Amino acid sequence: MSHIEIKKGHNIRITGIPSEEIRNAKIPTSLSIQPKEFKSIKPKLMVKEGDSVSIGSPLFFDKNNPNIKWASPGCGEVKEIKFGPRRVIENIIIELAKEEEAVIQESFEASAIKSLGREKVLQCILDGHLFPMIRQRPFNKIANPDQAPDAIFISAVNTAPLSVNLEIAMKDRLSSFQAGIDALSQLTEGKMFLTTKKYSIFSDMQHCEINTISELHPAGNVGIQIHHISPLKPKKIIWTVDVNHVAILGDLFLTGSYQPAMIASVAGPGVLNPSHVKTRIGASISSLLDNQLADGNSRIISGDVLTGSHSSLNEFLGYYDSSISVLSESDEREFLGWLKPGSGKTRYSLTRAFFGQGKQAFPFSTILNGGKRALVPVDAWENVLPMDIMPIALFRSILACDIEEMEQLGMIECDPEDFALCAFACPSKIELSAVIQQGLDILEAEG
Amino acid sequence: MKSLRNIMNKIAPVFEEKGKLEKLYPLWEAIDVGIFNSNKKTNIGPHIRDSVDIKRVMIMVVFALLPLYIFGAINIGVQSGIAQNVSQTWNQNFVIGIKILLPIFLVTFITGGLWEVIFASVRKHDINEGFFVTGFLIPLIVPPTIPLWQVAVATTFGVVIGKEIFGGTGYNIFNPALTARAFIFFAYPGAISGDKVWVSGVDGYSGATGLSIPAAVEGGNAKALLDGVTQFDYSWWNMFVGWIPGSIGETSKILILLAGLFLILTKIASWRIMAGGLLGLFATAWLTNSLSSYSTNTMLSLPPEYHLVMGGFLFGLVFMATDPVSAAQTNKGRWIYGFCIGAMTIIIRSINPAYPEGTMLAILFMNAFSPLIDYFVVKGNIKKRMVRYAK
Repeated sequence: MSHIEIKKGHNIRITGIPSEEIRNAKIPTSLSIQPKEFKSIKPKLMVKEGDSVSIGSPLFFDKNNPNIKWASPGCGEVKEIKFGPRRVIENIIIELAKEEEAVIQESFEASAIKSLGREKVLQCILDGHLFPMIRQRPFNKIANPDQAPDAIFISAVNTAPLSVNLEIAMKDRLSSFQAGIDALSQLTEGKMFLTTKKYSIFSDMQHCEINTISELHPAGNVGIQIHHISPLKPKKIIWTVDVNHVAILGDLFLTGSYQPAMIASVAGPGVLNPSHVKTRIGASISSLLDNQLADGNSRIISGDVLTGSHSSLNEFLGYYDSSISVLSESDEREFLGWLKPGSGKTRYSLTRAFFGQGKQAFPFSTILNGGKRALVPVDAWENVLPMDIMPIALFRSILACDIEEMEQLGMIECDPEDFALCAFACPSKIELSAVIQQGLDILEAEG
Repeated sequence: MKSLRNIMNKIAPVFEEKGKLEKLYPLWEAIDVGIFNSNKKTNIGPHIRDSVDIKRVMIMVVFALLPLYIFGAINIGVQSGIAQNVSQTWNQNFVIGIKILLPIFLVTFITGGLWEVIFASVRKHDINEGFFVTGFLIPLIVPPTIPLWQVAVATTFGVVIGKEIFGGTGYNIFNPALTARAFIFFAYPGAISGDKVWVSGVDGYSGATGLSIPAAVEGGNAKALLDGVTQFDYSWWNMFVGWIPGSIGETSKILILLAGLFLILTKIASWRIMAGGLLGLFATAWLTNSLSSYSTNTMLSLPPEYHLVMGGFLFGLVFMATDPVSAAQTNKGRWIYGFCIGAMTIIIRSINPAYPEGTMLAILFMNAFSPLIDYFVVKGNIKKRMVRYAK
């Protein structure tokens, strides 16, 4: 066990931090899985509209790897399957039945799980149709079950703005979490890494190597932790699993069934009562935001404000997301704002010099605060990127599509979420996260 | 403010697509967001952005330059008074200075602004804020005696050749303001080479600049020569405070140092470049000092602390060398880049007999080399990673 001190980064001072209270969300009447949000899969449906499904029964599989199926997060009737352009399956919506049933498979004693062996564990997860919960680096896509990873990483620190406080959310689920670790640790011949904050409820977990890390965003990102603990290199594969998903996988072994409960955060300047809520995987956003929107003209984001995706009241919580953030879509224009660099709102870099890391929080809106310009390298990126990566050189090699140089500059160690803070701080308003994704796409296409 | 906003909203369609003045949209955009902050929104993640944009970065540099404008204006009057042997009040000095500085400033902004609008309109992009700083810098690095037409020609050269032909702010290789000055330097050497002092108000007035005094004498002691001048006060302290003839904004070293501190604290200028520059200056000057006994070149004996307060070195180091676009962009590279600027300044000053001052040329020279320095620093990073990958 060692401590990783992260010095570069920034905790965005945004209002609407979720309180420690855990509310019960309105019980959703419909749930959804959105095949479009999974990268590099070819979904093939296993149900059609009108079919009845149970919790845990498969909804679709990946044509590239037919072993990987997606479990239904609810029991009821497939109400609608939404197709996008070129018949891309966008959304499978399930209307919940009053009494829900779950598919039951083999269950195990807590003490028996850690001696099941890789084959058995893998089989259980695949049969439970929960394998998509395991993702791999590089490329941050669903892992390939046939390829054993060199290590598995779990980040038990959330540093992203307005994200779930895992210490609160997981308080009552530590035994499921431990079962999940016991199971997952058998999938690799390498090490199982768990990263926590310094004093954490996760400090007593067994059968994994625990490291602690500073709570300075983006230190909570698993990519940053991998970079500092066991960095990626060509041909090395690392699997990552979200904390909540580890507990769900643990439950699958302990009870034999899929228990899609979770605690999400509903937060941001546009939320009346920012807090944690008890909900379930794939819940409708309207159930989470019931009577919580402060203003009609707001942007609803599934995920955190840095890396989440646009959503709306008619949509559903993303598969890997555990927070809903709401920002105001303000149209206010400040008079001669550029002349007041010291008094502006939501300031990060310049005021830091004068006022240090203040405590005051700002009601960030979706305003870009400027226009797109050419890169003026004032180190805005470097100061918030705690990685041994040269972001400007990498950025240029991606724009030039220079694959060899991208690889040499460490492209495979990067993920857009680690660069989101750079895009936040960039005075030229360059979409660096999108460029990093573009680079990864180029690299993946090349093989 | 609401009524102004409403009026502007009414005018806007004229400049928008299919409006009568569609071609001038960049000009309108610049005015529009100049008066009211842009209301553009994020469309992909991150959904929130820091409030610092290039406008705010640039305005900080302008804030840092404003005290130099005031000091520069007063000093023009002071030097003119010394040359004419009359005593003037602060107000009179300031008025004399403003009468000279304001036309130079206006000519710079009108010429440069015009080119910016033309290029933005033809290329259909927003008007870059970069010229804002360039426009504030150019009047400070020319002598008060400069003819206005030279200012116009130089600004044109600096903006068009120094920046726009490469694609505008962010793509330029050389610092545009320095390019402008270099143009006057080579095109009209009589006006600006720096052998003779620039004092306004008296026709044909002549006197030696601080740097040209030791350069003109063989086998002397530089410090003693400077102290012996009676026409101007070339003592160390006076040169540090800045009541000496010179380019308009470069004389007050103490104000420049404060501005530098401000730019470092606001994280706009790189402290590494400045520290590297000082290191280079001191190291090289010590070296020339130790060699001075073997040569009749008096400049070799000028102590480093004098080099520091003479000529345009500090101004160049704080405002020009640290231009983030044309400087080296890696941290290691910035040390090397800064060091070489300091070293080269001393070499040009001491060893080259043709030019009394070398800061401008040193910075332009290192601007040209900064991509190469970065190339090697990046290669170093790659090499380290390749070793790890191979394990």
